[in-house]
Amino acid sequence: MTREKRIIGLSAIIVAALALLPFVPGAADSYLFFLLYLFFLYTIIGQAWNLVAGYTGQISLGQHAFFGLGAYTAALVWSRGLFGAEHVYYFDPLTLIASGLVAAAFALVIGFPLLSKLRGDYFALGTLGFGEIVRVAFVKGGSYTGGPFGIVLPSSLYESLRPHYWLGLGLAAGLTLLIFWIRRSSLGLALVAIRDDEMAASSNGVNVLKYKLVAFALGAFFTGMAGCLQAYYLFHVSPEGFLNLNWTLYPILIAVIGGSGTVLGPVIGALAVTVVFSYANIFFPELHPIFSGLAIILVMLFMPNGIMRLRFRGRA
Amino acid sequence: MLDILSVRLVVEIFINGVLFGAMYGVAAVGLSLIFGTMRIIFIAQGTIIVLAAYVVYWLFNTFGLDPYLSLVVVAPLAFATGATTYRFLFRKAAAMADKNTSLLIAVGLMFLVQNVISFVWTPNPKSIITSYTAVGFEVFGSRISVTRSISLVIALAATAAVVLFLRRTLVGKAVRAASENMQAAMLMGIDPHRVNAIAFAIGFALAGAAGVALATTYPFDPYYGFSFALKALIALALGGIGNVVGALLGGILLGLIESFSSFFISAGWADAIAYAVFLLVLMFRPEGLFATSFKKA
Repeated sequence: MTREKRIIGLSAIIVAALALLPFVPGAADSYLFFLLYLFFLYTIIGQAWNLVAGYTGQISLGQHAFFGLGAYTAALVWSRGLFGAEHVYYFDPLTLIASGLVAAAFALVIGFPLLSKLRGDYFALGTLGFGEIVRVAFVKGGSYTGGPFGIVLPSSLYESLRPHYWLGLGLAAGLTLLIFWIRRSSLGLALVAIRDDEMAASSNGVNVLKYKLVAFALGAFFTGMAGCLQAYYLFHVSPEGFLNLNWTLYPILIAVIGGSGTVLGPVIGALAVTVVFSYANIFFPELHPIFSGLAIILVMLFMPNGIMRLRFRGRA
Repeated sequence: MLDILSVRLVVEIFINGVLFGAMYGVAAVGLSLIFGTMRIIFIAQGTIIVLAAYVVYWLFNTFGLDPYLSLVVVAPLAFATGATTYRFLFRKAAAMADKNTSLLIAVGLMFLVQNVISFVWTPNPKSIITSYTAVGFEVFGSRISVTRSISLVIALAATAAVVLFLRRTLVGKAVRAASENMQAAMLMGIDPHRVNAIAFAIGFALAGAAGVALATTYPFDPYYGFSFALKALIALALGGIGNVVGALLGGILLGLIESFSSFFISAGWADAIAYAVFLLVLMFRPEGLFATSFKKA
């Protein structure tokens, strides 16, 4: 218990320090600042995937669809002025929440038939199919979605990376805290019970479908908001940039490297991935993707339970 | 009303669907074998096929080796590579109860191979043009290219070879036993690592054959492998996971769905339709369309 309290205290200090960092003169213009933004974004999508896979044991391969749905919601709401002409859309809380809700709604609609009928590999394949259908639908969406080119937003509004940084930090810290709380609540117990033995959980009165759906939709909600955040950064929402399968592979990589099924695992994983990617990008720009593939294989071969679980190797 | 022209058109779409679908089929047979013993979806299969296609391309351009003749080099090479890959990458993970480790190693391998290809051969699409690429013959008034027909023959022959191997040889029987029940197979003295290695080796050899078929008929780029693996996966689900002949038929069916929907609806939607069929099959007939009644799902 004291160890846990120490970790919580330390995390609070780190988050507070990170929140104050933009006030340091010159900090907001450095490359490190951008890397920290990336680190927050990766933490959010890693935690969101982990919620479904790490706790509930259902591997989703359709996260890029939720990321893209969130980004496209933000872009469509903005470019079409759906909330009224005088509304400010850049960093608009209403749009942010709408992005999450649209992704969550799709997760419920697709999750209900998939989760009630399929599990394990088949569920993973089903979500992959769903993701590809969403991608094709946006590519073929004609003038409404901008087709393969996507939607361009007015980038003249960009002043600095600070709002992205704070929003990213807030979402990442908030989601981590939420998962920490879920882990200790009856919801978390139910999720872990389902992962460990679905039959036993169900025979003890756990409504398996309901809990799986809640985890899936919650993961999609945060992934959608992350998509909205990234849309505010790139100002160009396209199938290539947002409905790319990388947005499914990255969260898996992040959660697995850090340790899936642990609260801080995705945070550590996001940090590791940010460092590896950016270093590889600086020192071997052409070889960078090769490096990432190699990193997955090496981690899986030598620490299949992730960095967080290294000390419990005997148990897992 | 169907006039002569539209009949000819339908025949052409049909034949193209079958010819292309056969390649999905071979990829799916490889997936099916590896899934059988390892219980993982080997997502890198498509990328291995593309790698084989690049090796064929390299042999053709460097040594002037005929693409079909290179099968003699590529297939045994792929066989050995498959066994080695299992030995060094999957052996440890295969023993674990958690299948995600193997799945993720396959994802990493796919990443690695496709980027190595794009580093070595550049990301631009490649294709092999031989003296006979343009040659074709007529069936019911439709022109069919010789290379595509040979690809179909390769697909059928490769699948037949795998079926014969599984039914007629002792090792094949061991692989079948292990896919049905690994625990029981182990009690009978079957070495799980050996069976897994054989499944991988044959899966890779099939990828080699599919690579030859792909290289001679269609242009390919390093990233094509992933979508190819997804198609193979759909073919596998249509045919029923663990059913070798079903996998080939599933591939051909998928080829037909794609070629008809891209003609009658639009090329861009063909993918979405294929995935929609895949989702429907997963949900309502997870044992596959061609499963015989006595087979377990």
